[in-house]
Amino acid sequence: MTALGARNPTVKLLLVVAVSLATLALLEPAALAALYLLGLMSARWGAGVGGRRLLLAQVPFWTFGVGVLLVNAMSRPGAVLVAGGPFRVTHEGLVVGAALALRGCVIGVATVAFLASTPPRDLMVSLVRHARLSPRYAYALLAGHRMLAGLPRQWATIRAAQLVRAPLGRDGRPREGWRGLARSAFALLVASIRASERVALALESRGLAAGPRTIWRPVPLGAGDAALASGVLGALALVVLMGARL
Amino acid sequence: MSLWRAVPEPAAHPGADLAADPAADPAAEPAAVLDVAGLEAVLDGGAGVGPVDLRLAPGEQVLVLGPSGAGKSTLLRCLHGAVPHAVPARVSGRVAVAGRSVAEHGVAALADVVGVLAQDPETGVCLADVADEVAFPLENLGTPPAAIGPAVAAALGAAGAGHLAGRRTDALSGGELQRVALAAAVVTRPRLLLLDEPTSMLDADGVAAVRGALAAARASTGAACVLVEHRLDALAGDAGVAGLPGRWLVLSADGRVTHDGPAAEVARDAGPELLARGCWLPEDVELAVALGGAAGEPGAFDLLPALAAGAPPSRDPAAGRGEVLLAARGLAVGRRPAGRAARRRPAAQPVLRDVDLRLRAGEVVAVVGANGSGKSTLVATLAGVLPPLAGVVEGARPGLVVQNPEHQLAGRTVAAEVAVGLPPGPATDDGVTAALARFGLAALADRDPHRLSGGEQRRLSLAAMLVHDRPVLLADEPTFGLDRHGTADVLRALADSARAGRAVLLTCHDLRAVASVADRVLVVADGGLVADVDPLALLRDPRLLAAARLRPSRLLRRLAEVVGDAARLRDALAALDARALRATGAPDPAGAPDPAGVPVR
Repeated sequence: MTALGARNPTVKLLLVVAVSLATLALLEPAALAALYLLGLMSARWGAGVGGRRLLLAQVPFWTFGVGVLLVNAMSRPGAVLVAGGPFRVTHEGLVVGAALALRGCVIGVATVAFLASTPPRDLMVSLVRHARLSPRYAYALLAGHRMLAGLPRQWATIRAAQLVRAPLGRDGRPREGWRGLARSAFALLVASIRASERVALALESRGLAAGPRTIWRPVPLGAGDAALASGVLGALALVVLMGARL
Repeated sequence: MSLWRAVPEPAAHPGADLAADPAADPAAEPAAVLDVAGLEAVLDGGAGVGPVDLRLAPGEQVLVLGPSGAGKSTLLRCLHGAVPHAVPARVSGRVAVAGRSVAEHGVAALADVVGVLAQDPETGVCLADVADEVAFPLENLGTPPAAIGPAVAAALGAAGAGHLAGRRTDALSGGELQRVALAAAVVTRPRLLLLDEPTSMLDADGVAAVRGALAAARASTGAACVLVEHRLDALAGDAGVAGLPGRWLVLSADGRVTHDGPAAEVARDAGPELLARGCWLPEDVELAVALGGAAGEPGAFDLLPALAAGAPPSRDPAAGRGEVLLAARGLAVGRRPAGRAARRRPAAQPVLRDVDLRLRAGEVVAVVGANGSGKSTLVATLAGVLPPLAGVVEGARPGLVVQNPEHQLAGRTVAAEVAVGLPPGPATDDGVTAALARFGLAALADRDPHRLSGGEQRRLSLAAMLVHDRPVLLADEPTFGLDRHGTADVLRALADSARAGRAVLLTCHDLRAVASVADRVLVVADGGLVADVDPLALLRDPRLLAAARLRPSRLLRRLAEVVGDAARLRDALAALDARALRATGAPDPAGAPDPAGVPVR
């Protein structure tokens, strides 16, 4: 198990929230870049996310970041650095844009590290025990998560079943427009609603209620989690302070 | 051996003194585990069940029988409060489990005394980890954590699923899932076990595993048990009536109790009626009804040679020599893993490779093989909805009906469903009308196809495919989950299609269906086609049967011993069906063959 994987999910979730809030207080690209670097390191070595996977997980945040950076750099008033035609890039715009872009990346990498190191079952067990989440919601979410994992396969089955009667296009392959997709989506919806009714009944017939319950294999909360929390919060405070000095 | 009887013998009739529980003080009459008086339930749609009176002593086992739509599942759901607490319905009368009124307690509040095993293995298991799933009911009851581990291990062991502890539930087969669900149902040591068609969605392997698991679980908990099942022939296995609970309760089509008593007695009295209504009965009861004699007597099987010898020939022996309509050469089939990332990986592993096959006009070909051996993937590839990994499929575009008819539904009404994919116009309207009439769906033309019964949906999917008039018809497990009449309808439609000049290929777990319709059988095992034989040769080859994980019933084994060729086997099965229907007083639908296709229903 990875270092972060062994830590309590509720603590990790709260730390992700704390990091996200802290980034809101920061507008210094250097401080945010430092946080981002720390985040990447904890995802790579703390949560054990492989290099390639980690890189791929950053793509959406980078894409978002580039957009934010460009919009800010070219639309904010301030000292003009570069001008060409209708476009001009300002110093203030570049700084604010970079900060906002990095903010997204920090929150993104913290979430990646959290999700990669936290099995859904542990998260729900911990939230029920340590955050007083109602077991009815927690286990309904877990059952829903299990059903969700089966949806792509079911979608493929339904699409194949429906394409049999579709007219052929010029290339000899079945051709169906958005109507066909809508029909398949409806079939999937019907199947999912039926399945969720049965799952809900199965949960209830196994005694899931709002009342008190025990937990067979609880998720521990201990000194390691306190150390993690103080470490992360300390690093955050340091970065925020340094950001204020810059 | 019958573990259904490992518990006290049932009372002779309701209201009589209940059988004594040997564990209890002999002087005290044991309180009923289940006490149902004047129960009537009407669901929102108008269907319902009742009035029902039923008392079960501790450990007593009862089998609830009745035709499709009689309200068997509704009755079971009333017993643990799912009706009306989760499914809205008007309920009157009294139901008490272990002295607790079901009306006043919700479903969850009865979880310590009632264990439930439902039909669908996929939705009967809720969590991702097998051990968590079985521990879940104990956690909900507030069991001390230290006691949960041993209880989980014991329950998994009793359900024949000890080796599955630690596995993830999304990697299990239907039979394995059902055993995990059974373990979760018995882990609380309930006093009443409700089993709702627990084997109806499983293949032969799964049925055999769950049958053993049920017996062991009942024996280990000593729970009273209410079983609803329509594939009684499969569940009873070779033991026949003796392999089922000793007390039978029969519901009529409108949900009333018509019989309640010892199995042999009820089988004798209600057997013909149940057979006429499409129930699957244990083979000894079926033979007793069709050929005379008493259920449970081994002599019934001795009448089979005479039946086989006297059966009239049912089909033109020249069938199956037509032109090749679909051919596959060097075919490798497999599903690529879902998702975009997966597409960049090297080619998917084929589940079947080097498949060469030809389908000729006028023949019915069955594909058999174990679960997961690639039958459905092969059919989808032949149908052109899945690209082959290697090799080619040549021939005109085939039609396909998939295993779950709901997956194919695309119209808002039954009539619109048949017309899907056809150009609008008078020719289509005429074709739709004719197809609806042929499949007995004309009266349902304006209904919502999602609200039809399983048998009606299956007939609808066949009608909707055949109206496209493609030269080849492929069918993936077309008889799955259907009652006897539904199965007969489907097999007749397939045979008629072949007789009308199509090539028909079906995958099927049901050997009796294969033997009564197929000209050839392709056996799929070990990643390829291992045999192309006629049904009789398959039944006589233990090696092939083992490779395909098939277990012929006593009836098929006996017939395979006495008939000379596959056509005789088919004739004997057809004669048995006809005799069974005649004995029940129902009209014989196969009586008047018609070259254009016998109206189905």
